[in-house]
Amino acid sequence: MEIILKINNLEKKYKDFKVLNHANIQIEKGAIYGLIGKNGAGKTTLIRIICGLQEPTNGDYSLYGIKNNSSAITTVRKRLGAIIETPSIYREMTAKDNLIEQYKLVGMPSLEGIDDLLKLVGLENTGKKKAKNFSLGMKQRLGIAIALANNPDFLILDEPINGLDPQGIIEIRELILKLNKERKITILISSHYLDELSKIATHYGFLDNGSIIKEISNEELLKKLEHKITLKVKDEKAFVKYFEENQIVYEVADDKTINVYGKYNLSKFVYDLSQKNLIAEKIQETEESLENYYMNLIGGEQID
Amino acid sequence: MIKLLNAGFTRLKKNKTFWLLCTFSIGLAMIILFSQYNQMITYDSNIEIEQLLLNYSPIIGIIIAIFTSLFLGAEHSEGAIRNKISIGHKRTNIYLSNLIIITITSILANLLFIIVTAAIGIPLFGGITMEFTKLLSLLGCSFITVVAYASIFTYLAMIISNKTINAIVSIMIAFGLMMVALTCFNILNAPPTIQQATMTNGETKVVEIPNPKYPSEQKKKIIQTLIDINPTGQMYQIVGRTFSNLKVLSLYSVCIIIVFTGTGLVIFKKKELK
Repeated sequence: MEIILKINNLEKKYKDFKVLNHANIQIEKGAIYGLIGKNGAGKTTLIRIICGLQEPTNGDYSLYGIKNNSSAITTVRKRLGAIIETPSIYREMTAKDNLIEQYKLVGMPSLEGIDDLLKLVGLENTGKKKAKNFSLGMKQRLGIAIALANNPDFLILDEPINGLDPQGIIEIRELILKLNKERKITILISSHYLDELSKIATHYGFLDNGSIIKEISNEELLKKLEHKITLKVKDEKAFVKYFEENQIVYEVADDKTINVYGKYNLSKFVYDLSQKNLIAEKIQETEESLENYYMNLIGGEQID
Repeated sequence: MIKLLNAGFTRLKKNKTFWLLCTFSIGLAMIILFSQYNQMITYDSNIEIEQLLLNYSPIIGIIIAIFTSLFLGAEHSEGAIRNKISIGHKRTNIYLSNLIIITITSILANLLFIIVTAAIGIPLFGGITMEFTKLLSLLGCSFITVVAYASIFTYLAMIISNKTINAIVSIMIAFGLMMVALTCFNILNAPPTIQQATMTNGETKVVEIPNPKYPSEQKKKIIQTLIDINPTGQMYQIVGRTFSNLKVLSLYSVCIIIVFTGTGLVIFKKKELK
């Protein structure tokens, strides 16, 4: 699998304050990578560094295999689209004029495709309305259209749903999924809205106090968040055989612990096991939310 | 760089401040022509058209300061600079393309004033009496000073990220340059002696005494150099044709362009952007 972005021990200090502390990230091609962290965790600083707005104090990163200290880094950035905090929009211009400006900036040979881009983000009917009169959601969608002008294959979106109303959030979410599925764009999206990210992300990076404390795929995370019955057993082989025969999703955590995933009536589940002479020493039923998972990761601090 | 310039000029064409600048330059030319024509009719005075052609020069620094802080200030406030960097444009190219756009716009504003003044003024006040090459060298020198202004205000706009602070600082510097130039001229123009009235036995006598504020030869040289370096001082000397050496003024302007652009590039390349 091609690695689009690899961050190694990245550190950023402002005087004595360490904003990023040995952060490590790896983003695979085609992923929607959700960068989760509370306000002040270092998400925007990390994105600013990747986009070349700031220099790391220590550590490095590579985009498409090109290191940040290589002169070729500016060339690979041409494959990148980004919205950092607020979209880069000339407020006195219309949506179309903003896109014409961006087309010239990225050196597109013709202005063909601007109407398609406006349609893609749902701004085809804005006519002569200036961007300063757009709603927050419209500005955000125009920002995404601008970021797409150079046909990027890596899109970086910093807090794209901040301040949006529910309708705006749904529109942005659908647009992100569409870009990932139809245009095969790899997306790095930072947010502190866990629920929203969980609806689109394929991979997660949990950022806390400037460090990535956990990287996990959506599949792995869902497994962890699923309804789970933990069994403490003496002989796991008999249990495994039973689960295999009955197509029950399970995971042998160690030779005495088995996790069973899925929603079962606990009484009936225990009864069925006992009918097969499978007696567990201890049975525990758990269901973890994404928020709980995150809170446990960061050590119980409140998310902003 | 070509892409940056192409995008920059596309934005310029749609920018209200740019059209306001053009309208102001044309309007100012017409107001000056109208007032000078009235003066010629009323007082039967002789108006030199070449003098009118240079009349924009003393205030153009303030005009460039306002335009640059508004036009380039938006580059920071509307996220255009971070957009340019994130899509792979080099910081040096971003800085230089902005300098080129500001320089061309400033010269265009000056040219508009000159063209309107010449087109309407020559039929009204008669043709140019000055030697044509001399007029060209005066205009050429004033254009180089315009580029010096552009380099100063581009420097400020690229270094100061806050649009309002940048506008305030730029305009204050433009007025500051004017105040310094006027103060220097006042010192240089001080008379060597002043009259002092003394009363002896009820009789008042006016005597000439040496002016304590009259500058020494060394001080004069320093002040003259300050005027020569100061772009507004240069412009006053060009308009009043009081300069001793036009080439020296241009040389100072070139130095200003090199120093400000060089320093600006170094700072902007290291600047942490948000």
